[in-house]
Amino acid sequence: MKSQINKPEKIRLFIFVFGIVLFCFSLSLFPRVTIPLSVAYVISLIFTPVIPMVMRFGIKRPAAVNLVFVAILFLFSYPLIKITPTVTNEAKNVQYYLPKIESFLKSEYKEITSKIESKTGYEVGDEILNNSLDYGQKATTEILLQIPKYLGSVIEWIFLVPLFVFFILKDGRNFKNSFLKIVPNSIFERFYYLSHQFNRQLGDYIFAKFVEASIVGVIISTGLFILDVRFALLLGLVAALTNVIPYLGPILGTIPAIVFGLAEYGWGPTFGAIAILYIVANCIDIALVFPILVSKIVNLHPLMVVVSVILGSTFFGVIGMIISIPLAAAFKLISIEIYNELYGVKSR
Amino acid sequence: MTYKSFEKKIEDDKELPAKLDIPILKYFWQSNPLFSSNKNSIPKFLRRIKVLENFSDNELRLLSSSLHLRQFDDGEVIFNQNDIGVGFYFIYSGRVDIIVENNQRVNDVSNDSKLNHIVSLEKLDYFGELALLQQQSIRNASALARESCQLLGIFKPDLENLINSNPTIATKLLQAVSIITANRLFSVTNEVRRLKYKIKQLEGKNEESN
Repeated sequence: MKSQINKPEKIRLFIFVFGIVLFCFSLSLFPRVTIPLSVAYVISLIFTPVIPMVMRFGIKRPAAVNLVFVAILFLFSYPLIKITPTVTNEAKNVQYYLPKIESFLKSEYKEITSKIESKTGYEVGDEILNNSLDYGQKATTEILLQIPKYLGSVIEWIFLVPLFVFFILKDGRNFKNSFLKIVPNSIFERFYYLSHQFNRQLGDYIFAKFVEASIVGVIISTGLFILDVRFALLLGLVAALTNVIPYLGPILGTIPAIVFGLAEYGWGPTFGAIAILYIVANCIDIALVFPILVSKIVNLHPLMVVVSVILGSTFFGVIGMIISIPLAAAFKLISIEIYNELYGVKSR
Repeated sequence: MTYKSFEKKIEDDKELPAKLDIPILKYFWQSNPLFSSNKNSIPKFLRRIKVLENFSDNELRLLSSSLHLRQFDDGEVIFNQNDIGVGFYFIYSGRVDIIVENNQRVNDVSNDSKLNHIVSLEKLDYFGELALLQQQSIRNASALARESCQLLGIFKPDLENLINSNPTIATKLLQAVSIITANRLFSVTNEVRRLKYKIKQLEGKNEESN
Protein backbone atom coordinates (compact mmCIF):
# COMPACT_ATOMS: atom_id res chain seq x y z
CA MET A 1 0.00 0.00 0.00
CA LYS A 2 3.00 2.26 0.56
CA SER A 3 3.49 2.60 -3.17
CA GLN A 4 0.21 4.48 -3.35
CA ILE A 5 1.80 7.67 -2.03
CA ASN A 6 1.15 9.90 -4.99
CA LYS A 7 3.16 12.77 -6.31
CA PRO A 8 1.55 15.74 -4.51
CA GLU A 9 1.86 13.85 -1.24
CA LYS A 10 5.57 13.32 -1.90
CA ILE A 11 5.97 17.02 -2.57
CA ARG A 12 4.08 17.85 0.62
CA LEU A 13 6.30 15.48 2.61
CA PHE A 14 9.41 17.02 1.15
CA ILE A 15 8.26 20.56 1.85
CA PHE A 16 7.30 19.60 5.41
CA VAL A 17 10.64 17.94 6.23
CA PHE A 18 12.58 20.66 4.46
CA GLY A 19 10.65 23.33 6.37
CA ILE A 20 11.40 21.69 9.72
CA VAL A 21 15.09 21.33 8.92
CA LEU A 22 15.26 24.94 7.73
CA PHE A 23 13.48 26.11 10.88
CA CYS A 24 15.87 24.24 13.20
CA PHE A 25 18.86 25.48 11.22
CA SER A 26 17.76 29.10 11.37
CA LEU A 27 17.07 28.76 15.11
CA SER A 28 20.61 27.50 15.66
CA LEU A 29 21.92 30.57 13.81
CA PHE A 30 20.23 33.04 16.16
CA PRO A 31 20.96 32.06 19.77
CA ARG A 32 19.68 35.42 20.99
CA VAL A 33 16.19 34.35 20.02
CA THR A 34 16.59 30.63 20.51
CA ILE A 35 17.77 30.64 24.13
CA PRO A 36 14.92 32.73 25.61
CA LEU A 37 12.49 30.91 23.34
CA SER A 38 13.58 27.50 24.60
CA VAL A 39 13.61 28.67 28.22
CA ALA A 40 10.08 29.99 27.71
CA TYR A 41 9.07 26.72 26.05
CA VAL A 42 10.38 24.71 29.00
CA ILE A 43 8.57 26.94 31.51
CA SER A 44 5.36 26.74 29.51
CA LEU A 45 5.73 22.95 29.31
CA ILE A 46 5.77 22.85 33.11
CA PHE A 47 2.67 24.98 33.44
CA THR A 48 0.45 23.90 30.52
CA PRO A 49 -1.09 21.04 32.53
CA VAL A 50 -2.20 23.59 35.12
CA ILE A 51 -4.47 25.41 32.65
CA PRO A 52 -7.01 22.56 32.23
CA MET A 53 -7.06 22.18 36.02
CA VAL A 54 -8.02 25.86 36.36
CA MET A 55 -10.51 25.51 33.51
CA ARG A 56 -12.28 22.76 35.40
CA PHE A 57 -13.60 25.37 37.82
CA GLY A 58 -15.66 26.76 34.97
CA ILE A 59 -13.18 29.48 34.01
CA LYS A 60 -12.82 30.17 30.28
CA ARG A 61 -9.49 29.46 28.64
CA PRO A 62 -8.22 33.06 28.20
CA ALA A 63 -9.02 33.90 31.82
CA ALA A 64 -7.35 30.68 32.96
CA VAL A 65 -4.22 31.53 30.95
CA ASN A 66 -4.06 34.99 32.48
CA LEU A 67 -4.53 33.59 35.97
CA VAL A 68 -1.79 31.00 35.50
CA PHE A 69 0.54 33.58 34.01
CA VAL A 70 0.08 35.96 36.94
CA ALA A 71 0.69 33.06 39.31
CA ILE A 72 3.92 32.18 37.45
CA LEU A 73 5.09 35.79 37.58
CA PHE A 74 4.44 35.93 41.30
CA LEU A 75 6.01 32.53 41.91
CA PHE A 76 9.21 33.50 40.09
CA SER A 77 9.57 37.21 40.74
CA TYR A 78 8.96 37.23 44.49
CA PRO A 79 11.77 34.83 45.44
CA LEU A 80 14.01 36.34 42.75
CA ILE A 81 13.65 39.81 44.24
CA LYS A 82 14.08 38.50 47.77
CA ILE A 83 16.91 36.05 47.13
CA THR A 84 18.97 37.64 44.35
CA PRO A 85 20.63 40.35 46.50
CA THR A 86 21.62 37.82 49.16
CA VAL A 87 22.96 35.37 46.62
CA THR A 88 24.98 38.03 44.77
CA ASN A 89 26.34 39.22 48.09
CA GLU A 90 27.38 35.69 49.00
CA ALA A 91 28.89 35.13 45.56
CA LYS A 92 30.96 38.29 46.01
CA ASN A 93 32.18 37.08 49.38
CA VAL A 94 33.18 33.71 47.96
CA GLN A 95 36.23 35.19 46.21
CA TYR A 96 37.62 36.38 49.55
CA TYR A 97 37.24 32.91 50.92
CA LEU A 98 38.94 31.18 48.02
CA PRO A 99 42.55 31.84 49.23
CA LYS A 100 41.64 30.56 52.66
CA ILE A 101 40.23 27.36 51.19
CA GLU A 102 43.27 27.02 48.97
CA SER A 103 45.72 27.30 51.85
CA PHE A 104 43.62 24.89 53.87
CA LEU A 105 43.65 22.36 51.05
CA LYS A 106 47.41 22.75 50.69
CA SER A 107 48.10 22.16 54.37
CA GLU A 108 45.76 19.15 54.46
CA TYR A 109 47.40 17.76 51.36
CA LYS A 110 50.84 18.15 52.84
CA GLU A 111 49.78 16.35 55.99
CA ILE A 112 48.33 13.47 54.05
CA THR A 113 51.29 13.13 51.73
CA SER A 114 53.74 13.23 54.63
CA LYS A 115 51.69 10.51 56.35
CA ILE A 116 51.79 8.40 53.22
CA GLU A 117 55.49 9.02 52.86
CA SER A 118 56.27 8.01 56.43
CA LYS A 119 54.17 4.84 56.15
CA THR A 120 54.95 3.59 52.68
CA GLY A 121 57.99 5.57 51.65
CA TYR A 122 56.28 6.58 48.40
CA GLU A 123 56.65 10.24 47.41
CA VAL A 124 53.41 11.57 45.99
CA GLY A 125 54.59 14.98 44.90
CA ASP A 126 52.66 18.22 44.53
CA GLU A 127 51.58 17.91 40.91
CA ILE A 128 48.15 16.47 41.62
CA LEU A 129 47.20 19.19 44.06
CA ASN A 130 48.63 21.99 41.95
CA ASN A 131 46.96 20.73 38.82
CA SER A 132 43.59 20.38 40.46
CA LEU A 133 43.91 23.75 42.20
CA ASP A 134 44.85 25.40 38.92
CA TYR A 135 41.89 23.78 37.26
CA GLY A 136 39.52 24.87 40.01
CA GLN A 137 40.83 28.44 39.93
CA LYS A 138 40.55 28.60 36.19
CA ALA A 139 37.02 27.28 36.24
CA THR A 140 35.83 29.68 38.93
CA THR A 141 37.49 32.72 37.35
CA GLU A 142 36.07 31.70 34.01
CA ILE A 143 32.58 31.60 35.47
CA LEU A 144 33.12 34.89 37.31
CA LEU A 145 34.50 36.55 34.18
CA GLN A 146 31.58 35.38 32.10
CA ILE A 147 29.02 36.79 34.52
CA PRO A 148 29.06 40.35 33.06
CA LYS A 149 28.73 38.88 29.59
CA TYR A 150 25.70 36.92 30.67
CA LEU A 151 24.25 39.79 32.67
CA GLY A 152 23.46 41.81 29.54
CA SER A 153 21.55 38.94 28.00
CA VAL A 154 19.87 38.17 31.33
CA ILE A 155 18.33 41.63 31.36
CA GLU A 156 17.10 40.98 27.84
CA TRP A 157 15.69 37.62 28.94
CA ILE A 158 13.84 39.12 31.89
CA PHE A 159 11.61 40.89 29.41
CA LEU A 160 11.60 38.33 26.63
CA VAL A 161 10.98 35.12 28.55
CA PRO A 162 7.73 36.17 30.28
CA LEU A 163 6.48 37.55 26.97
CA PHE A 164 7.22 34.27 25.19
CA VAL A 165 5.75 32.22 28.04
CA PHE A 166 2.54 34.22 27.95
CA PHE A 167 2.04 33.84 24.23
CA ILE A 168 3.04 30.19 24.19
CA LEU A 169 0.47 29.53 26.92
CA LYS A 170 -2.17 31.67 25.24
CA ASP A 171 -1.75 30.87 21.56
CA GLY A 172 0.30 27.68 21.65
CA ARG A 173 -2.74 25.63 20.73
CA ASN A 174 -3.50 27.80 17.72
CA PHE A 175 0.12 27.67 16.56
CA LYS A 176 0.01 23.91 16.91
CA ASN A 177 -3.26 23.58 15.03
CA SER A 178 -2.12 25.71 12.13
CA PHE A 179 1.17 23.84 12.08
CA LEU A 180 -0.70 20.51 12.04
CA LYS A 181 -2.56 21.66 8.92
CA ILE A 182 0.65 21.44 6.88
CA VAL A 183 1.58 18.01 8.22
CA PRO A 184 1.14 15.59 5.29
CA ASN A 185 -1.70 13.08 5.58
CA SER A 186 0.48 10.01 5.35
CA ILE A 187 2.36 10.78 8.56
CA PHE A 188 -0.23 12.91 10.34
CA GLU A 189 -1.52 10.45 12.94
CA ARG A 190 1.93 9.22 13.90
CA PHE A 191 3.44 12.67 13.96
CA TYR A 192 0.65 14.12 16.06
CA TYR A 193 0.70 11.29 18.59
CA LEU A 194 4.51 11.26 18.83
CA SER A 195 4.79 14.99 19.32
CA HIS A 196 2.06 14.93 21.95
CA GLN A 197 3.66 12.03 23.79
CA PHE A 198 7.06 13.68 23.59
CA ASN A 199 5.81 17.04 24.83
CA ARG A 200 3.93 15.48 27.72
CA GLN A 201 6.79 13.28 28.87
CA LEU A 202 9.32 16.07 28.55
CA GLY A 203 7.01 18.39 30.48
CA ASP A 204 6.48 15.77 33.19
CA TYR A 205 10.22 15.17 33.40
CA ILE A 206 11.09 18.83 33.71
CA PHE A 207 8.29 19.39 36.21
CA ALA A 208 9.46 16.45 38.35
CA LYS A 209 13.07 17.61 38.25
CA PHE A 210 12.02 21.17 39.08
CA VAL A 211 10.06 20.00 42.13
CA GLU A 212 12.82 17.65 43.27
CA ALA A 213 15.56 20.26 42.91
CA SER A 214 13.60 22.95 44.71
CA ILE A 215 12.74 20.61 47.60
CA VAL A 216 16.40 19.65 48.05
CA GLY A 217 17.50 23.26 47.69
CA VAL A 218 15.00 24.50 50.25
CA ILE A 219 15.89 21.77 52.76
CA ILE A 220 19.64 22.44 52.48
CA SER A 221 19.31 26.22 52.53
CA THR A 222 17.08 26.24 55.59
CA GLY A 223 19.24 23.64 57.32
CA LEU A 224 22.43 25.58 56.71
CA PHE A 225 20.66 28.78 57.69
CA ILE A 226 19.60 27.24 61.01
CA LEU A 227 23.15 25.94 61.55
CA ASP A 228 24.27 29.53 60.90
CA VAL A 229 26.69 28.50 58.17
CA ARG A 230 27.92 31.16 55.76
CA PHE A 231 26.80 30.97 52.13
CA ALA A 232 23.67 29.02 53.10
CA LEU A 233 21.66 30.25 50.10
CA LEU A 234 24.49 29.82 47.62
CA LEU A 235 25.24 26.27 48.76
CA GLY A 236 21.52 25.44 48.63
CA LEU A 237 21.34 26.83 45.11
CA VAL A 238 24.35 24.77 44.05
CA ALA A 239 22.80 21.65 45.60
CA ALA A 240 19.50 22.31 43.82
CA LEU A 241 21.15 22.90 40.44
CA THR A 242 23.38 19.85 40.65
CA ASN A 243 20.48 17.72 41.86
CA VAL A 244 19.11 17.86 38.31
CA ILE A 245 21.93 15.51 37.29
CA PRO A 246 20.99 12.02 38.46
CA TYR A 247 23.51 9.85 40.37
CA LEU A 248 26.41 12.33 40.03
CA GLY A 249 24.51 15.46 41.02
CA PRO A 250 24.05 14.91 44.76
CA ILE A 251 27.77 14.13 45.14
CA LEU A 252 28.82 17.13 43.07
CA GLY A 253 26.53 19.33 45.14
CA THR A 254 28.03 18.08 48.40
CA ILE A 255 31.69 18.66 47.51
CA PRO A 256 31.74 22.47 47.85
CA ALA A 257 29.88 22.29 51.16
CA ILE A 258 32.31 19.72 52.58
CA VAL A 259 35.41 21.59 51.43
CA PHE A 260 34.06 24.87 52.74
CA GLY A 261 32.89 23.32 56.01
CA LEU A 262 36.30 21.72 56.62
CA ALA A 263 38.16 24.93 55.81
CA GLU A 264 35.91 27.10 57.93
CA TYR A 265 35.04 24.93 60.93
CA GLY A 266 37.54 22.05 60.85
CA TRP A 267 36.72 18.55 62.08
CA GLY A 268 34.15 19.84 64.54
CA PRO A 269 30.47 19.46 65.40
CA THR A 270 29.46 22.02 62.75
CA PHE A 271 31.09 19.99 60.01
CA GLY A 272 29.33 16.88 61.30
CA ALA A 273 26.04 18.74 61.28
CA ILE A 274 26.60 19.87 57.69
CA ALA A 275 27.42 16.33 56.60
CA ILE A 276 24.34 14.94 58.37
CA LEU A 277 22.20 17.66 56.79
CA TYR A 278 23.33 16.71 53.29
CA ILE A 279 22.81 13.03 54.00
CA VAL A 280 19.31 13.71 55.38
CA ALA A 281 18.38 15.93 52.43
CA ASN A 282 19.48 13.31 49.92
CA CYS A 283 17.73 10.57 51.92
CA ILE A 284 14.50 12.60 51.84
CA ASP A 285 15.02 13.06 48.12
CA ILE A 286 15.60 9.36 47.51
CA ALA A 287 13.10 7.92 49.96
CA LEU A 288 10.18 10.35 49.78
CA VAL A 289 10.34 12.61 46.72
CA PHE A 290 11.76 10.22 44.17
CA PRO A 291 9.15 7.43 44.54
CA ILE A 292 6.34 9.96 44.09
CA LEU A 293 7.87 11.48 41.00
CA VAL A 294 9.53 8.37 39.61
CA SER A 295 6.68 7.58 37.25
CA LYS A 296 7.27 10.96 35.64
CA ILE A 297 11.02 10.65 35.37
CA VAL A 298 12.48 8.85 32.41
CA ASN A 299 14.84 6.21 33.65
CA LEU A 300 18.25 6.57 32.15
CA HIS A 301 20.90 3.95 32.62
CA PRO A 302 23.71 5.21 34.93
CA LEU A 303 26.19 4.64 32.13
CA MET A 304 24.15 6.80 29.78
CA VAL A 305 23.90 9.48 32.48
CA VAL A 306 27.66 9.60 32.94
CA VAL A 307 28.34 9.62 29.21
CA SER A 308 25.83 12.37 28.49
CA VAL A 309 27.12 14.50 31.39
CA ILE A 310 30.67 14.19 30.07
CA LEU A 311 29.56 15.02 26.54
CA GLY A 312 27.52 17.97 27.78
CA SER A 313 30.40 19.33 29.83
CA THR A 314 32.84 19.08 26.93
CA PHE A 315 30.54 20.97 24.59
CA PHE A 316 28.80 23.50 26.84
CA GLY A 317 30.67 23.48 30.17
CA VAL A 318 28.77 23.61 33.44
CA ILE A 319 25.45 24.52 31.81
CA GLY A 320 25.90 21.59 29.45
CA MET A 321 26.08 19.20 32.39
CA ILE A 322 22.63 20.30 33.53
CA ILE A 323 21.08 20.48 30.08
CA SER A 324 22.53 17.14 28.97
CA ILE A 325 20.18 15.01 31.06
CA PRO A 326 16.89 16.37 29.71
CA LEU A 327 18.38 16.21 26.24
CA ALA A 328 19.42 12.60 26.75
CA ALA A 329 15.96 11.81 28.13
CA ALA A 330 14.36 13.45 25.10
CA PHE A 331 16.61 11.49 22.78
CA LYS A 332 15.72 8.27 24.59
CA LEU A 333 11.98 9.03 24.37
CA ILE A 334 12.14 9.73 20.67
CA SER A 335 14.18 6.63 19.94
CA ILE A 336 11.83 4.46 22.02
CA GLU A 337 8.82 5.81 20.16
CA ILE A 338 10.47 5.34 16.79
CA TYR A 339 11.48 1.83 17.79
CA ASN A 340 7.91 1.02 18.82
CA GLU A 341 6.64 2.52 15.61
CA LEU A 342 9.00 0.48 13.45
CA TYR A 343 9.33 -2.83 15.25
CA GLY A 344 7.57 -3.07 18.58
CA VAL A 345 3.89 -3.47 18.01
CA LYS A 346 3.68 -4.90 14.54
CA SER A 347 5.83 -7.88 15.41
CA ARG A 348 3.49 -8.85 18.22
CA MET B 1 -36.44 73.72 -7.96
CA THR B 2 -35.92 70.37 -9.50
CA TYR B 3 -35.62 68.47 -6.23
CA LYS B 4 -38.96 69.85 -5.09
CA SER B 5 -40.56 68.53 -8.17
CA PHE B 6 -39.04 65.15 -7.40
CA GLU B 7 -40.40 65.34 -3.91
CA LYS B 8 -43.80 66.09 -5.24
CA LYS B 9 -43.52 63.29 -7.69
CA ILE B 10 -42.67 60.87 -4.89
CA GLU B 11 -45.53 62.11 -2.76
CA ASP B 12 -47.93 61.79 -5.62
CA ASP B 13 -46.63 58.50 -6.78
CA LYS B 14 -47.51 56.24 -3.89
CA GLU B 15 -47.07 53.02 -5.75
CA LEU B 16 -44.75 50.50 -4.16
CA PRO B 17 -42.45 48.32 -6.26
CA ALA B 18 -44.50 45.57 -7.71
CA LYS B 19 -42.76 42.73 -5.99
CA LEU B 20 -40.07 42.27 -3.33
CA ASP B 21 -37.42 40.10 -4.88
CA ILE B 22 -37.01 37.65 -2.03
CA PRO B 23 -34.46 35.27 -3.62
CA ILE B 24 -32.11 38.18 -4.26
CA LEU B 25 -32.58 39.47 -0.72
CA LYS B 26 -31.91 36.00 0.59
CA TYR B 27 -28.80 35.73 -1.56
CA PHE B 28 -27.38 38.96 -0.18
CA TRP B 29 -28.32 38.00 3.37
CA GLN B 30 -26.60 34.66 3.11
CA SER B 31 -23.49 36.03 1.46
CA ASN B 32 -23.01 38.26 4.47
CA PRO B 33 -19.73 37.12 6.03
CA LEU B 34 -21.15 37.34 9.55
CA PHE B 35 -24.00 34.99 8.69
CA SER B 36 -23.79 32.18 11.22
CA SER B 37 -23.79 29.24 8.84
CA ASN B 38 -20.93 30.78 6.90
CA LYS B 39 -18.81 31.32 9.94
CA ASN B 40 -18.48 27.80 11.19
CA SER B 41 -20.55 25.02 9.81
CA ILE B 42 -18.77 22.21 11.62
CA PRO B 43 -21.05 22.31 14.70
CA LYS B 44 -24.05 22.29 12.36
CA PHE B 45 -22.60 19.30 10.62
CA LEU B 46 -22.02 17.53 13.94
CA ARG B 47 -25.62 18.28 14.93
CA ARG B 48 -26.78 16.07 12.08
CA ILE B 49 -24.78 13.05 13.31
CA LYS B 50 -27.04 10.71 15.18
CA VAL B 51 -24.64 9.40 17.83
CA LEU B 52 -23.85 12.94 18.95
CA GLU B 53 -27.45 13.84 19.69
CA ASN B 54 -26.89 14.07 23.46
CA PHE B 55 -24.54 17.04 22.93
CA SER B 56 -25.93 20.52 23.43
CA ASP B 57 -25.21 23.16 20.77
CA ASN B 58 -22.57 24.83 22.89
CA GLU B 59 -20.90 21.52 23.64
CA LEU B 60 -20.78 20.76 19.91
CA ARG B 61 -19.13 24.13 19.36
CA LEU B 62 -16.49 23.31 21.98
CA LEU B 63 -16.04 19.82 20.57
CA SER B 64 -15.55 21.22 17.06
CA SER B 65 -12.65 23.33 18.32
CA SER B 66 -10.69 20.17 19.09
CA LEU B 67 -11.48 18.44 15.80
CA HIS B 68 -9.04 18.53 12.90
CA LEU B 69 -10.33 19.05 9.37
CA ARG B 70 -8.17 17.01 6.99
CA GLN B 71 -8.31 17.09 3.21
CA PHE B 72 -7.75 13.87 1.24
CA ASP B 73 -7.41 13.49 -2.51
CA ASP B 74 -9.12 10.81 -4.55
CA GLY B 75 -7.51 7.42 -3.89
CA GLU B 76 -5.36 8.65 -1.04
CA VAL B 77 -4.81 6.29 1.89
CA ILE B 78 -6.33 7.56 5.14
CA PHE B 79 -4.85 4.75 7.17
CA ASN B 80 -3.48 1.30 6.45
CA GLN B 81 -4.48 -1.99 7.97
CA ASN B 82 -2.13 -2.99 10.85
CA ASP B 83 -1.04 0.58 11.42
CA ILE B 84 -1.20 1.97 14.91
CA GLY B 85 -4.24 4.18 14.96
CA VAL B 86 -5.03 7.14 17.17
CA GLY B 87 -7.83 8.81 15.24
CA PHE B 88 -11.61 8.63 14.95
CA TYR B 89 -12.99 10.23 11.78
CA PHE B 90 -16.30 11.73 10.70
CA ILE B 91 -16.86 12.17 6.98
CA TYR B 92 -17.52 15.84 6.39
CA SER B 93 -17.76 15.49 2.64
CA GLY B 94 -16.88 12.89 0.04
CA ARG B 95 -16.82 9.13 0.18
CA VAL B 96 -14.53 6.64 1.94
CA ASP B 97 -14.00 2.94 1.21
CA ILE B 98 -13.12 0.53 3.99
CA ILE B 99 -10.98 -2.30 2.68
CA VAL B 100 -9.58 -5.45 4.28
CA GLU B 101 -6.40 -6.98 2.94
CA ASN B 102 -6.41 -10.74 3.33
CA ASN B 103 -2.79 -11.60 3.19
CA GLN B 104 -2.88 -14.73 5.29
CA ARG B 105 0.67 -15.86 5.63
CA VAL B 106 -0.19 -19.57 5.46
CA ASN B 107 -1.65 -19.90 2.00
CA ASP B 108 -0.34 -16.72 0.53
CA VAL B 109 1.92 -18.11 -2.18
CA SER B 110 1.49 -15.57 -4.91
CA ASN B 111 2.30 -12.80 -2.42
CA ASP B 112 -0.21 -10.37 -3.85
CA SER B 113 -2.69 -9.48 -1.18
CA LYS B 114 -6.30 -9.68 -2.16
CA LEU B 115 -8.29 -6.59 -1.48
CA ASN B 116 -11.72 -7.13 -0.03
CA HIS B 117 -13.96 -4.18 -0.28
CA ILE B 118 -16.13 -4.14 2.83
CA VAL B 119 -18.19 -1.01 2.84
CA SER B 120 -18.46 2.45 1.37
CA LEU B 121 -19.07 5.24 3.80
CA GLU B 122 -20.58 8.55 2.90
CA LYS B 123 -21.20 11.93 4.42
CA LEU B 124 -22.23 11.82 8.13
CA ASP B 125 -20.70 8.36 8.56
CA TYR B 126 -17.82 7.71 10.90
CA PHE B 127 -15.02 5.16 11.24
CA GLY B 128 -11.99 4.26 13.34
CA GLU B 129 -13.73 4.64 16.69
CA LEU B 130 -11.80 1.77 18.31
CA ALA B 131 -8.60 3.80 18.09
CA LEU B 132 -9.90 6.18 20.73
CA LEU B 133 -10.63 3.39 23.20
CA GLN B 134 -7.82 0.90 22.74
CA GLN B 135 -4.32 1.23 24.07
CA GLN B 136 -1.98 0.85 21.07
CA SER B 137 -4.90 0.21 18.79
CA ILE B 138 -4.11 -1.55 15.52
CA ARG B 139 -6.31 -0.79 12.52
CA ASN B 140 -8.09 -3.92 11.35
CA ALA B 141 -8.94 -2.46 7.96
CA SER B 142 -7.63 0.15 5.58
CA ALA B 143 -9.48 3.31 4.65
CA LEU B 144 -9.19 4.88 1.21
CA ALA B 145 -10.58 8.19 0.05
CA ARG B 146 -12.85 7.65 -2.92
CA GLU B 147 -13.40 11.22 -4.06
CA SER B 148 -11.55 14.19 -2.80
CA CYS B 149 -13.00 14.25 0.65
CA GLN B 150 -12.82 16.16 3.90
CA LEU B 151 -12.66 14.32 7.19
CA LEU B 152 -13.08 15.59 10.71
CA GLY B 153 -10.67 13.70 12.93
CA ILE B 154 -10.42 13.54 16.68
CA PHE B 155 -7.26 11.97 18.04
CA LYS B 156 -6.12 10.50 21.34
CA PRO B 157 -4.17 13.64 22.38
CA ASP B 158 -7.30 15.74 21.77
CA LEU B 159 -9.33 13.33 23.89
CA GLU B 160 -6.75 13.54 26.69
CA ASN B 161 -6.86 17.33 26.57
CA LEU B 162 -10.67 17.27 26.58
CA ILE B 163 -10.74 14.94 29.59
CA ASN B 164 -8.61 17.43 31.49
CA SER B 165 -10.22 20.67 30.41
CA ASN B 166 -13.84 19.77 29.57
CA PRO B 167 -14.71 16.52 31.35
CA THR B 168 -18.40 16.76 30.39
CA ILE B 169 -17.69 16.91 26.69
CA ALA B 170 -15.10 14.15 26.93
CA THR B 171 -17.60 11.96 28.80
CA LYS B 172 -20.30 12.57 26.23
CA LEU B 173 -17.89 11.83 23.39
CA LEU B 174 -16.82 8.61 25.08
CA GLN B 175 -20.49 7.78 25.64
CA ALA B 176 -21.12 8.23 21.93
CA VAL B 177 -18.13 6.06 21.05
CA SER B 178 -19.24 3.39 23.50
CA ILE B 179 -22.74 3.42 22.00
CA ILE B 180 -21.19 2.78 18.60
CA THR B 181 -19.00 -0.03 19.90
CA ALA B 182 -21.82 -1.51 21.97
CA ASN B 183 -24.07 -1.64 18.91
CA ARG B 184 -21.30 -3.26 16.95
CA LEU B 185 -20.61 -5.74 19.76
CA PHE B 186 -24.29 -6.61 19.91
CA SER B 187 -24.44 -7.39 16.19
CA VAL B 188 -21.18 -9.33 16.42
CA THR B 189 -22.59 -11.42 19.28
CA ASN B 190 -25.69 -12.17 17.21
CA GLU B 191 -23.54 -13.12 14.27
CA VAL B 192 -21.44 -15.44 16.43
CA ARG B 193 -24.57 -17.09 17.75
CA ARG B 194 -25.88 -17.58 14.20
CA LEU B 195 -22.56 -19.01 13.06
CA LYS B 196 -22.37 -21.37 16.03
CA TYR B 197 -25.84 -22.62 15.21
CA LYS B 198 -24.80 -23.15 11.59
CA ILE B 199 -21.67 -25.03 12.64
CA LYS B 200 -23.77 -27.27 14.84
CA GLN B 201 -26.12 -27.94 11.95
CA LEU B 202 -23.23 -28.76 9.65
CA GLU B 203 -21.64 -31.01 12.25
CA GLY B 204 -24.93 -32.84 12.66
CA LYS B 205 -25.20 -33.29 8.90
CA ASN B 206 -21.62 -34.52 8.80
CA GLU B 207 -22.30 -37.14 11.46
CA GLU B 208 -25.44 -38.28 9.66
CA SER B 209 -23.60 -38.72 6.40
CA ASN B 210 -20.80 -40.65 8.07
